[in-house]
Amino acid sequence: MTASGSWVEAVVAAGAVPASHVPEASLGRSDLEEFTGADPVEDGELRVHPLDGTRPLAPAAVCFLDGIEQWRVVGYGRTTPIVRAHIAAAIRRRGWDRRLRTVAEAAEEVAITRLDRLPGAVRRALEAAGVRVLEFPAEDAEQPARAFAAARVEVQKARTALERRLAEGRLRVLATDEWLVVDGVLSDSAALSEHPRALGVVKSHGAQYFEGADLERALTLPDGHRTGVFRPRARGARRDIHSWYVRLWPWEGNDLLYGLLRLEARAHPDTLALAAPIAAWIRTERAPVATPDRRWDRLLYPIHDVETYLRARAPRDLTPLPASRLPRTAS
Amino acid sequence: MIERRDPPPSAPPVGRVVATEQKPATPHQFHFWTANETTIGIGAIVRVEEGRGAGEGGRVVYGVVTDGFAYSDLATPLHDVVGAEGDPAKAADSPTVRQEIRLWTAAVLRQTPEEPLQPVPLGQVHVATDVDVAQALRMDAYLGGAQPTAIPVGLYTSGGLEAPVYVDADFLLGPEAAHLNISGVSGLATKTSAVEFLLSSIFQHFPPHKGRVAAVCFNVKGPDLCFLDRPGALDDEDRRRYQRLGVAPEPFQRVRYYAPFKADGVNLNTLRTHPDLVGDVEPLVWGLREVLDYAEVLLNRDDIDAKADAFIDFLADRVVDKEFEDGFGGVHRVVTFADLERLFRSIFDGLELASRGGDSWRTHHIATIRKVRNRLANISTRCKGLVTDDGPSNDLPWGRFDDRAVYVVDVANVDPLGQDLVFARVVSQLRERLERRDLGVEAVVVFVDELNKYAPADGPETYVKKMLLDISERGRYLGLVLFAAEQFRSQVHRRVVGNAGTLVFGRMDADELATPGYQVLSPATKIKLATLPIGELMVRHPHFTQPIFVRFPRPAVLRGRDGVERYPPAADLPFEDAVVRQLVKLDRRVRPNQIKDVIADRREEDVRRALAHTRQTRPQDALAHFRKQLGGRVAAAPAAARESVPPLNPISDEPY
Repeated sequence: MTASGSWVEAVVAAGAVPASHVPEASLGRSDLEEFTGADPVEDGELRVHPLDGTRPLAPAAVCFLDGIEQWRVVGYGRTTPIVRAHIAAAIRRRGWDRRLRTVAEAAEEVAITRLDRLPGAVRRALEAAGVRVLEFPAEDAEQPARAFAAARVEVQKARTALERRLAEGRLRVLATDEWLVVDGVLSDSAALSEHPRALGVVKSHGAQYFEGADLERALTLPDGHRTGVFRPRARGARRDIHSWYVRLWPWEGNDLLYGLLRLEARAHPDTLALAAPIAAWIRTERAPVATPDRRWDRLLYPIHDVETYLRARAPRDLTPLPASRLPRTAS
Repeated sequence: MIERRDPPPSAPPVGRVVATEQKPATPHQFHFWTANETTIGIGAIVRVEEGRGAGEGGRVVYGVVTDGFAYSDLATPLHDVVGAEGDPAKAADSPTVRQEIRLWTAAVLRQTPEEPLQPVPLGQVHVATDVDVAQALRMDAYLGGAQPTAIPVGLYTSGGLEAPVYVDADFLLGPEAAHLNISGVSGLATKTSAVEFLLSSIFQHFPPHKGRVAAVCFNVKGPDLCFLDRPGALDDEDRRRYQRLGVAPEPFQRVRYYAPFKADGVNLNTLRTHPDLVGDVEPLVWGLREVLDYAEVLLNRDDIDAKADAFIDFLADRVVDKEFEDGFGGVHRVVTFADLERLFRSIFDGLELASRGGDSWRTHHIATIRKVRNRLANISTRCKGLVTDDGPSNDLPWGRFDDRAVYVVDVANVDPLGQDLVFARVVSQLRERLERRDLGVEAVVVFVDELNKYAPADGPETYVKKMLLDISERGRYLGLVLFAAEQFRSQVHRRVVGNAGTLVFGRMDADELATPGYQVLSPATKIKLATLPIGELMVRHPHFTQPIFVRFPRPAVLRGRDGVERYPPAADLPFEDAVVRQLVKLDRRVRPNQIKDVIADRREEDVRRALAHTRQTRPQDALAHFRKQLGGRVAAAPAAARESVPPLNPISDEPY
């Protein structure tokens, strides 16, 4: 990892106009908003199953993986933004003592811009700085607003790649009674989507797999229930996977997605047998409550803990400052 | 003197200093966090190193933990209720333990370099080693050098590490500062044990260049100090602590006991009357001269007037021990209370006969004379046994105090007025002798228990209180050092406590800790003080910028309670046997029957007077001296038969 700030100083010294701006678009991940469809696996149609009396799965140890991304526009070469981004991921393992300890982590600082749109001196300074440079498409470099969105996509791709690398590394040493819980989908990774003890926990529901009565059953799932297992239809490079919904908290009085999680596990007959115990297990993860995170109704505390851990170790100068953006000198 | 039993220098840090805008690090205080499982606790001494560790040449800060906090990332207690669905049992079943913090507040003990004084760096925190403790408490200034003045006071213990803590003799016994005050609840604070151990430590470590030292201990309750020369029970842990502190676990080698007689004038008024031990107890007997010098002690506030004062001065200067003509034709030589009483009677009779209505004698009003007479008579009545009406006195060995000797004055069963008198006279004598440098030692530790009784925060300005104030404020220049103990420090005169250079606290009463005198202590330190185990103390000393908790071993002397069980006090002896015992003590050759023959049919006051004289003289032949003092027996002469005188001129023989 490059020493933070050193390459920024280099490109500014080479003529880039310094900037300090955290675009609104960097503050959260985007959800895919599309209908993809799914095929029921467990039942003929999507059905609701109570979890009463279901014995929760109780792994001896569980590893939780999450990642963070932070970025800031640190300069402009003409009108092309130069973005400094920090991506990090960590796995924290929970053992017999119920405490979380870090067993793997990785972090990287990258620069995101469009090199061929930068002044020659700035470009050379950036290339010589030793920082990994990610480029957004040439067509997005024309307009700063589009460049921000494109930069964000690049940051997300870098983060997911980092998470995937960390997860796959952990799978190789995962004990027989140990599970890996990933914040997000499994289907981005072949290794993850095929592993018998990897579990994806998806709390954003931009992608919808059902419509009509199935959709109603999925989104009005009562507290303490799960849906039947289904197979999301593949999108792009995604692998075959089994998925099902579970409700952690009663949604009545809040909204349809309140306390609603979608779980992912390998597409395998064993997953059908484990769907209920896994759902019951994830329900036990409601406590401790992951407050003060505003997503606490769907955010598992261990995932929240990993995120807190990563943010505590992230560079301080990439987080949005509460101060005003009054004019300041560029020196 | 420091034995290095440190962990290796590369021992990992136990914490890290943190500072926020709300809780910044300052030059006098800092905060640090540790793992949840840590050996750090309230009172622990830590070392902070600037940078990533030792050897970087950065600032080093020593601190003592004064407060501790634990909290989790729980935003509000309600969220815990929500997570557990309102069932406390479920809260314990959550699959993950919340993130917790152990955050500690520490007060700075020392910074190196000391200048410029700066906020504590945000560095690594290490558990203090022996050497660190010496540095932190600035003990390095008096532990080494050509003339070390370190006196072991206890062991600092924390997290399996322990280090001896020393106080500076120059600041404990003068001349830089002096006096020690120890507070704590009865029974649990182990005040007496702490003083016994510290005296032992002083006797063994008092620097040779500071001369000789002795202690005078007033035993004011029970058998507390009656067995200082007898070995007590110690366990292996005590012995290990003695060894670590470099103090030999042995009772005091030279102890002299003094106790007044009981009212019978022959049995000692002490609990050390077991036949095996009573031989070491010297009677404490004072006569008119000893009392008159401290007559002010006997007078309460209402009595203190110029007239009474002047009359007492007159008696002391012009009457006592001199040939004195009373103005009515009588010549007196007043040596004893009995002589004085004869003088008073002579004065009253003379005034009554000389002129009816005459009310002055030698310019002193008869009411003043009567008042002084009553007070002096009162002391000889209330303190019978201590104050002798007749006969010589027996006192502490003024001018012949031994080095490293303890003089125990047992006044536990003496009337409070007598206790005041004993205290006032002994301490005044010590002061005078130390001023003249003819006591026999250069420094004397005076141990007084129940200080709140002698120097209360409020109440009348008694002679004893004034004297204690005087010692507190000026004693350090003389080598007169006050070690005082009390249950409630807040009830002791502020100037007496305030002048104590070294303050020691055992287990404290919570109500006492709520008084203003303890505001400087953190709530956690107060809680620790309120729950302090036996054998642990908090020490404040001029070299220590913060109070330090130490443990001390049990004193190597027999505790009062155990002593009374092992050496039960003997029952009072009949008058004759008591006299025999005292004379045999003076001269082993004397046979009891000889003595009994000599004192048979003699008046007890005559026997007591002869015995006192013999005791004071300590002749070669005690019996012969005693017999001589007793004088010849005067046989009672039979009354002469009175001749009857026959009636004159009987009127008639007739029966009518």
